[in-house]
Amino acid sequence: MNTSTTDDVKAQSLGTRVIQSVRSNIQSYILLIAVVGIWTIFFFATQGSYLDPQNISNLFRQMAVTSFLSIGMVLVIVTGGIDLSVGKLAGFVSVVCAYLQFYVWFKYLPGQVVLPAILSVIGGLLVGVIAGVVQGYIIAYLSLPAFIVTLGGMWLFNGLILLVTQGKTIAAHQPVFSDIAQGYIPPVWGWGIFVLIAVLLLWNMFSGRRSKQKYGFEPRPLYLDLLTIGVIVVLVFAYIFSVNNYKGIPAPVLLLAVVAMIMIYVSNNTRFGRYAYALGGNREAARLSGINISGVLFRVFVLMGFLCGIGGVVLASYVGYGTIAAGTGYELDAIAACILGGTSPLGGVGTIYGALIGALIIASLTTGLQMLNVAPAWQYVLKAIILIAAVYADVYFKKHR
Amino acid sequence: MEDDIILDFKDVTKRFPGVVALNKDTFQIRRGEIHGICGENGAGKSTLVKILSGVYPYGTYEGSVIYNGDELKLGQSSIREAAEKGIAIVYQELTLVSTRTVGENVYLGKEPLEHGAINWDKLYADTQAILEKYQLDVDPRATVGNLGVGKMQMVEIAKALSEDAKVLILDEPTSALSKAEVEKLMDILRTLKEHGITCIYISHRLEEFFLITDRVTVMRDGKVITTQPTKDVTQNDLVKFMVGREMKERFPKGKRKPGEVVFEVKDLEAFDPDNPTHKIIDGVSFNVRRGEIFGIAGLMGSGRTELVLTLFGEYGKISKGQIRLGDKVIQPKSARQAINAGLSLVPEDRKRMGLVLIQSILKNISLPNLDQFSKFFRIDANAEMQASLKEAKSLAIKAPSLEVLAETLSGGNQQKVVISKWLLSEPQVLIMDDPTRGIDVGAKFEIYKLMNELAEKGVAVIMISSELEEVLGMSDRVMVMCRGHSTTTLPVAEADKERVMALATGVAVA
Repeated sequence: MNTSTTDDVKAQSLGTRVIQSVRSNIQSYILLIAVVGIWTIFFFATQGSYLDPQNISNLFRQMAVTSFLSIGMVLVIVTGGIDLSVGKLAGFVSVVCAYLQFYVWFKYLPGQVVLPAILSVIGGLLVGVIAGVVQGYIIAYLSLPAFIVTLGGMWLFNGLILLVTQGKTIAAHQPVFSDIAQGYIPPVWGWGIFVLIAVLLLWNMFSGRRSKQKYGFEPRPLYLDLLTIGVIVVLVFAYIFSVNNYKGIPAPVLLLAVVAMIMIYVSNNTRFGRYAYALGGNREAARLSGINISGVLFRVFVLMGFLCGIGGVVLASYVGYGTIAAGTGYELDAIAACILGGTSPLGGVGTIYGALIGALIIASLTTGLQMLNVAPAWQYVLKAIILIAAVYADVYFKKHR
Repeated sequence: MEDDIILDFKDVTKRFPGVVALNKDTFQIRRGEIHGICGENGAGKSTLVKILSGVYPYGTYEGSVIYNGDELKLGQSSIREAAEKGIAIVYQELTLVSTRTVGENVYLGKEPLEHGAINWDKLYADTQAILEKYQLDVDPRATVGNLGVGKMQMVEIAKALSEDAKVLILDEPTSALSKAEVEKLMDILRTLKEHGITCIYISHRLEEFFLITDRVTVMRDGKVITTQPTKDVTQNDLVKFMVGREMKERFPKGKRKPGEVVFEVKDLEAFDPDNPTHKIIDGVSFNVRRGEIFGIAGLMGSGRTELVLTLFGEYGKISKGQIRLGDKVIQPKSARQAINAGLSLVPEDRKRMGLVLIQSILKNISLPNLDQFSKFFRIDANAEMQASLKEAKSLAIKAPSLEVLAETLSGGNQQKVVISKWLLSEPQVLIMDDPTRGIDVGAKFEIYKLMNELAEKGVAVIMISSELEEVLGMSDRVMVMCRGHSTTTLPVAEADKERVMALATGVAVA
């Protein structure tokens, strides 16, 4: 170890250190800059209505379903796999929920609203997990390529959707169940959540610093930590302030935030997360390091199934119907969000945070182009160009760092 | 003839941000000679090769390179250009497409065409002609993946020569070859010389220079130290030039006091898991004592690597025999079980099996040891950093921080990362499969010292090596393997090169 390093770091000026920290996280910033850029363009193109509280509220609510899928997809791609079945699986979960709501509970639990909603959610999640277990088992323990297995899964779930719906649309807009994706957190509660987030961030920062000191490591300078937290708090404040001017935080956005936080934690701070990245980076080295490759792969796909379950429940509640087209094409949106967010298709590299920003970029484009009444044909063309250009920019910057 | 210069380097300087990789280097390569270049990792050998191949095009370095009387001016996308000018390179890592045939590989990117389609007959006929001309014994229609490393090397050479090369650069061609294969390569190089091809031969194995080169250039820290006719220098001279100081011993002597037997393998037999009729381990017995360095010698393909992977629970299907560690009989079914029992394995190929190259040093060191730092579900990042930092420091890994990606390190430092990760798991038995392959003299010496220290602390160290001198120089006892079978275990005092080689080749039976 080069012992002079720590002294060098100390000697650096504040400016250099901020610049260095920006540079080392350049990719995350580029993505954020892209979001700001897109929003600015649409803001002017729509004479300001793009950033109306109502539109901001809808924008985030719309990205929720694919975001749940992207979160799981990051881990799948990181392990070197792919899951083509997620769209149709989420769709299948949504029609199962609708079927339970409309046919089963209506018959067996007449007049009730809360219990059926709970049972529908459990049913939906269960379907997702079972699908994940089956596909994960085939991929991890029977060693079939994920691409093929999940392609089969996609067809299978499509068939199951048609079986359950019998080709008809099933209503799922019963009270309580609807609130899952259409409800709002009252503004007062919204502010409560804001305070809670701020306090948790500060507590987390100080306990992290204390722990570092306990181990004899020098924590980052306090101002850098405070700056980071400050930026996050301002962003959260701006968001909550905006949506509170409409109806409050959309329930699915809050759910997404909670799930995302948990999954980011799992991917960074648990053995399971570390192993997933390691085996995606070099499967042979991971195996010889004592990692149970099949076990980790299996769990990644079960988790993916669970997230499809959440996505499917939210989808059913959001749309208010179970339809034969439910979830069509969502798998590609989820994959695109991951790739836009810096996940390497070769495995080993990728963040959930990045995938969420990727999903936000896609949703921002879709909403904006719709508001401008751009013909669907051209929406596809523009999205295609932006996807390819963004990935090229990423590759270019990595090469010329 | 003496002064017929084909390549003339004049004050060549190559700078990278913060580093001068080549520092005003001046030396000459004569037409038709075999010219050796040696130096520690980071001495500038690869940079030199990259200038000749066009990876660093003309204008990105200072000074000039005169090739055949004209200044070499390779443009931006110049790797093809260099080949067209007659400069061909065989890299250390093979660059063949293993699923295609020899002929397809040789003519990859320059397939003979007829009306826009590939003329397969001509391709194979031309390949055959090249192979015959230089006496390379390979079938042009064989699939490359089915060939051994030695034959693949021949294909690489044929590929390099297929464009009428005048200069052939071989960058560490022997690091993966067995002794017999090295000798075959030497023959090939002599044939090339007869055909008037100039060879630049880069290697870490100093003894090879004395087999074939006419002159040797030694580099250190980006500088050319000297160029000497090979017959005027000794191996020790070269080492001295390379490290800038005299190395009294190539192998440090430890104060080891081997204790009781801690690891014992009895009559082990195992089959290839992918081919259940193929016996890969056929009767292996040995024991290793606490605080001992136990050498396993044998040629490539003798079953050495298969043996240690089987002991580690990750390769062969054991059909017979017993493995004992301490007073427990163990039967590892996975690497995890082996690690938990107290075994560690520094694998043969650090890039393919030892490291996750795209991850940081820290994550590589902690990977097998995360259980130590995990409470419930959470990894204690500070504990992880503290323990990894301690290992990295004690092995003197040279890197600005542990956050640096493993792929950016030199071979020696990469190997130290692999060793650190296994030391952190505090093994009773540490198996090292060819731990010094492809790393420079200085780093080798550090790894030898480390092995001594570990043994002195009571670890049983098992070392496999392709270099006989290394096995004999470091071990207390040596086991020789031949065709999956352990011939015998000799105290190192009774083992000499000839005897071990005779056992390894099956010429002698113990």
